[in-house]
Amino acid sequence: MFVTLLHVADDQLRRLLAACSRWARAFRDWYQRPSTVEFRGRKLLREWLSAEQLAQYDAHDYFEVTGCHTGKRYRISHAGGANVYELDDAGRPHAGWCFVPNDHLVAGDVMLAQKIALETDERSALAVANNFMPR
Amino acid sequence: MATQIVMDRNGDTRHNFDVTDAKAMLKAERRFKALTGAGFTAATRTAGEEPVVTRTFDPTAEETLFFPRLVGG
Repeated sequence: MFVTLLHVADDQLRRLLAACSRWARAFRDWYQRPSTVEFRGRKLLREWLSAEQLAQYDAHDYFEVTGCHTGKRYRISHAGGANVYELDDAGRPHAGWCFVPNDHLVAGDVMLAQKIALETDERSALAVANNFMPR
Repeated sequence: MATQIVMDRNGDTRHNFDVTDAKAMLKAERRFKALTGAGFTAATRTAGEEPVVTRTFDPTAEETLFFPRLVGG
């Protein structure tokens, strides 16, 4: 009798654990889903990238732009800040520039604003930027 | 149909308007002035897809993108 009860309890406990595990996975998937806002930010960015930049972004999660005043190359990584790197002649990051829109925007929107700023008014963008050493 | 895209914390807000509708064009021009007056940068694209910053309302632009003023991060 006692052994039978133990078997029943064990079976129910296993089912409960399996259900909890499923709920935990479902919660994790829900929590980690890309938000609609982030999705729209990425979509808008993709629409404004050149074909070359889009290919680079799809492959590496970053793309490169040319500064309109100096002709220098910059790499813009997927992030919402501290994500712009000035490249040396070998294409290596040698200086970091941090400038962002003064409203809370998703990464895709921030990156698009940075791209347009560097390609159309590089000096003004760098004039407001803080610089940092790339890791 | 033309579109003004305003970047904001909701992602972006799109305002579509009929370029043949004088009233809609006036509203779009007022929106342009209000946003750029508030520090937004307005950009359009050339036929070659290059971004161009524009300081005045361009009634021929199919798409105008507005992003907030840039600051050091």
